[in-house]
Amino acid sequence: MSNNKTFQKNIWNHQQKIAPYLFIAPFYILFIVFMGYPLLSSLILSFYEMRGFQSKIYVGLSNFIDLFSDPIFWKSVWNTTYFALGTLTLQLPIALLLALILNSKHVKGKNLLRLAFFTPVLVAGVFVAIIFNLIYDQRAGIINNEYILLGKEIGWLNEAKYVMPAVILTGVWQWAGFNMIYFIAGLQGIRQDLYEAAAVDGANWWQAFLHVTLPSLRPVIAFVVVVSMIGSFQLFDLPFILTNGGEPADAGSTIVMYLYKNGFQFMRLGYAATIGWVLFIIIAIISIAQLKLLGIFREE
Amino acid sequence: MAIPFDSDNFPIGKAPIAMLILFVISSILLVISIEKKDESLEFWIYANTHYDEYQARLPLFNQLYPEVNVHLVNFGGTMHDKLLTALLSNFGAPDIVEVEINSIGRFLKGAIDEIGFIDLRPLLESKGRIDDLFPNRFTPWSYSGKIYGIPHDLHPVVLLYRDDLFKAVGVDLTKVNTWDEFIISAKKATRDTDGDGNIDQYAIVLDNKTESDYFNFLLQRGGGFFDENGNVIIDSELAIETLTFYNSLFNEHKIATPVYGTWHGHPSNFAAMQDDKILSILAPDWYVGILKSQVPQMAGKWKAIPMPAWEDGGRRTTTRGGTMIGITKQCKNPDLAWELIEFTYFNREGLANRFETTMIIPPIKSAFDVPVFHEPEEYLGGQKIGELFIDLVPDIPPRYQNPYWSEASDLLNDAIFKVVTENEHPRKALTELATTVRKIISKDHTRWGTE
Repeated sequence: MSNNKTFQKNIWNHQQKIAPYLFIAPFYILFIVFMGYPLLSSLILSFYEMRGFQSKIYVGLSNFIDLFSDPIFWKSVWNTTYFALGTLTLQLPIALLLALILNSKHVKGKNLLRLAFFTPVLVAGVFVAIIFNLIYDQRAGIINNEYILLGKEIGWLNEAKYVMPAVILTGVWQWAGFNMIYFIAGLQGIRQDLYEAAAVDGANWWQAFLHVTLPSLRPVIAFVVVVSMIGSFQLFDLPFILTNGGEPADAGSTIVMYLYKNGFQFMRLGYAATIGWVLFIIIAIISIAQLKLLGIFREE
Repeated sequence: MAIPFDSDNFPIGKAPIAMLILFVISSILLVISIEKKDESLEFWIYANTHYDEYQARLPLFNQLYPEVNVHLVNFGGTMHDKLLTALLSNFGAPDIVEVEINSIGRFLKGAIDEIGFIDLRPLLESKGRIDDLFPNRFTPWSYSGKIYGIPHDLHPVVLLYRDDLFKAVGVDLTKVNTWDEFIISAKKATRDTDGDGNIDQYAIVLDNKTESDYFNFLLQRGGGFFDENGNVIIDSELAIETLTFYNSLFNEHKIATPVYGTWHGHPSNFAAMQDDKILSILAPDWYVGILKSQVPQMAGKWKAIPMPAWEDGGRRTTTRGGTMIGITKQCKNPDLAWELIEFTYFNREGLANRFETTMIIPPIKSAFDVPVFHEPEEYLGGQKIGELFIDLVPDIPPRYQNPYWSEASDLLNDAIFKVVTENEHPRKALTELATTVRKIISKDHTRWGTE
């Protein structure tokens, strides 16, 4: 009898040790199967090139060397960086401004307006691209037809220099409202007594914004900036549809679009894997640099 | 005797047991659903118009083969990516598949014996079908002597024009035979109608961002990007001269307007047509079908003539677009797959039905006497457009397929844009393009040790 009890106790102890691993096992199994293994194979693939549909051939660092002398890749890197900078300098300030306005006590119908600004993000990128394709149209689009602000017919999607600005503006329309929500949440988390203390010290609105609001929003800003940058560097569907695959003359090509073209249209899977890993390195460097700059690693 | 299994006392409780049971059941169901029955055919397509046609006709096929279960799937534009993945992973490809002409190249890349389609030549020969199809139309679907697809179409191109607006400036386009004559007429028709100093009405609309229209001209002259043996010929004198001519239509003669929107089927382009801004367009049979269905209000305004020739008595057509049907190597029953191909690609009633809904002329010689091809078309003011297309069929030029077409056409798009809008010299643009594509090809051959 006592033997039996000891046996049961042993099993119980054993279970105590194993159970946690069993509970987290589904995640790790799925992660290894659907993330770990593909990541590893894509890394290996970047040192190979397909020789047909079933066999591949080892090419060493050749894909990486080719990539660094590939003008279309660099054009895509520049376009993507341009979009990311546009996001940083245009989209995020607009999102913050919207958040400040829609968090103010003096604005009526705030919830409705927040919903209105948030809605564009619920629309799939493909539909947004199709609609903006019509809006930007050089001769039939409503921007050139109804709002001839600059006094000339702009070839938004037909002239190379206007293509990325058009993509950036579409990005602002789609994503500013989404980032606004993060900023509103951040603004609501700022303690009122800080503003009261600032007011007692004689600070005006601008000084309170500069010395209370902005520093208190730092973690939110860091989060939004990093997530937006990652999203910007992964840009694909919007310009792909908007510019019909990067036209004209690759003016709308992005890194992921070039990766897709190489992998799926040109059947150069090794080269596409290389682009993927270079993109990973770019995003990692930029994200770490941003977090450092924004002081996220700083001890408080 | 106690039940050996007590869920309450199961070491980690009831919920994990429930999850375990669900996992086992769903795994079994998944395996069963993947396991294909021999008598079923998976058929993938990418075109909506084809989906409507086959969906309507499959019940008739089922009457002939009640035991066969045809699973028709329309993936739209992403179909080619899904097919590529399935062929690469050697799993999950359909039995039968339709592939678009600009997309087939990538499936022919690398080692010939690893291509995912079966060679249809033996089947075509044994079924006595090979001579019923136009030999030039096998060229887009053949590579290294093997035929990987049966053509769905021929896609002869005509010049579709606004008879009323050309006549308004005293031009009868039916008397125009060559491009030189067209330019003279077109200059009269290209006008500033409201006197504001801007041209409102252009004689022809052409694409300045993609190879589409330039390639129409190039093929008409017997050129191409690759020749029969896979050599790059885009820097030939013929190609350079054709691009120089193409550029002159925009920048020297100023009779061409760039396409409105992203392509000729874009809503903006249709809007421009309705606003009388576009007077003519190079139209394959399928484009006439699209125009008819998308812009029905323009019925009676368009007419068609054969494409003007480069010289008197020269070729009066070209070819644009296309689809093939092929059998993948993952197909377990190619003979059964062939029966479905016979039914969808060779059946006279089906082909008549296809023409009625899409205006597409079949590549089957023996079907040309089907009455519907010889009836007047109301959309074109009663013109017998089917007959015009059929008359042009013997002149349709070959369009040689190549595994590098995707890269080549992507770079050709850039070259055309640079020439037409950024003043780059055609010779420079095409020479550089040819050099780049030759380098890509030779690098691959060096790597594979096939040179």
